[in-house]
Amino acid sequence: MTALEIKNLESGYGEVQILWGVDLNLEEGRLTSLVGTNGAGKTTLLRTVMGTLKPWGGSVRLNGKDVSNLPAHRKPDLGLVMVPEGRQLFTSMSVEENLEMGATNARARLKLDDNLERVYELFPRLKERRDQQSGTLSGGEQQMLAVARGLMADPSVIMFDELSLGLAPVLVLNLFQTLRQLKGEGLTMLLVEQNVHMALSVSDYAYVLSEGRVSLEGPAHEVASTESVQKAYLGI
Amino acid sequence: MFDILIPSLVDGLLLGFVYGIAAMGLSLIWGVMNVINLAHGPIIALGMFGIYLAFTILGLNPYLALVLVAFAGLVLGILIYYVAVNRVIDAPHLSSLLATFSVNMIIIGIGTAIFTVSPYNVDFTLGAVDIGPIRLLWTRVAAALAAVIVTGLLYLFLFRTRTGKNIRAVANNRTAAELMGIPSSRVLALSFGIGTMLAAIAGGLIATFFPFTILAGGGYELRSFVIVVLGGLGNPLGALVGGLILGSLEGIIPVFMQTSWVPVIEFVLFVFIILVRPSGLLGSRV
Repeated sequence: MTALEIKNLESGYGEVQILWGVDLNLEEGRLTSLVGTNGAGKTTLLRTVMGTLKPWGGSVRLNGKDVSNLPAHRKPDLGLVMVPEGRQLFTSMSVEENLEMGATNARARLKLDDNLERVYELFPRLKERRDQQSGTLSGGEQQMLAVARGLMADPSVIMFDELSLGLAPVLVLNLFQTLRQLKGEGLTMLLVEQNVHMALSVSDYAYVLSEGRVSLEGPAHEVASTESVQKAYLGI
Repeated sequence: MFDILIPSLVDGLLLGFVYGIAAMGLSLIWGVMNVINLAHGPIIALGMFGIYLAFTILGLNPYLALVLVAFAGLVLGILIYYVAVNRVIDAPHLSSLLATFSVNMIIIGIGTAIFTVSPYNVDFTLGAVDIGPIRLLWTRVAAALAAVIVTGLLYLFLFRTRTGKNIRAVANNRTAAELMGIPSSRVLALSFGIGTMLAAIAGGLIATFFPFTILAGGGYELRSFVIVVLGGLGNPLGALVGGLILGSLEGIIPVFMQTSWVPVIEFVLFVFIILVRPSGLLGSRV
């Protein structure tokens, strides 16, 4: 089953068109990655899917329901959540308050205590620092908190924008292991990454975005072994 | 010397609590949405007239009427937000300044048409008590007490309730709040409403001991600016502390020089703080 279906999506900023008809499907329970160079339109795609940017054309369907024109704050209610680039934490609030804010939608609020326990289990470090102001956490802890806050929304589809950016390799490895674990629990995920090698090694399926169009798609290991990808992104 | 200074200082301090509430409204709106509400003064004046009307026409106890005035201030603020501020919230600061200035002119215009600019007075007293050289007017003590209660409630609201935390989240990172499912426009409207509510409450409290006109809010608005700069823009508790500092200055200065020096010294202090410690004495932000 397709959890998120993006069809012929067009979008941009002001007069500048960035996305030129993107088709992308997230199959349920699968970890999909979207890779591409800086400026390919990855973040624009996520923003348009979330509703922070209005789509110029095309459609976004979540579990069969057209959500193309819903504003961003209505999406978590339907199970679609994004962990934005640069973490975007509520830096003046405590770790636990950040998590609480993640659980804003009605469904998540009912499960607040269970989900809190779950993310503390996934990230014990956050439990230790629950009362600390989130702005004072280290970079790795902040990224954990951003992921945990997203999970608090009790998503059925979660999208990560540049999860690995600015993190030490060992932290990236840990985070990606957590993603694998989440996949085991049936969560549908989209991983948007500039760290192509890492992303492809952990995902099931992959899309390559270049200049606002999908230039290549397929099972992640196939995409990784494509000559053009090896040349352009993997330096092989 | 001391038998003039001490009573005057106490008077000023008690007044300072009320100044603090007024400034807190201005500070909260800035802290949450980076809008300077130039309609702050007229809303303080509307709070005064609200108490006047409730007391003189309806015969209500002023402190009971204060609850009504607070509610009206909240509703008025939400209305002002949706009519004037919402569409310029992402525009450069000048747009929201002009928008709230327009609201300022509209309120003053309508207010002048109804009430003229002649002074009004709420003929209400709770008596006084003498402690040594200090004569405490109960209305001022009650106003200070009300200010402390309002501050306490505001903090409980901001730090202990979900809606309050939503306000802090939106103030901290509006985009992230939207992504988490927090409807930021509604949160901003409510914050604006709470800001104007605080202004209306301050006006209502002042009306119980000073005469006023529809233009009287202007002076308190200017004081609010000095106070928020003293306490740190966007920091509600800082506003209360700033209010107390300003109140005591207003108590102390007239003992040593002409009262007309008070605003001069206040604004020299204002400029000095901006130059030396622009984030205020207590630092900024909710």
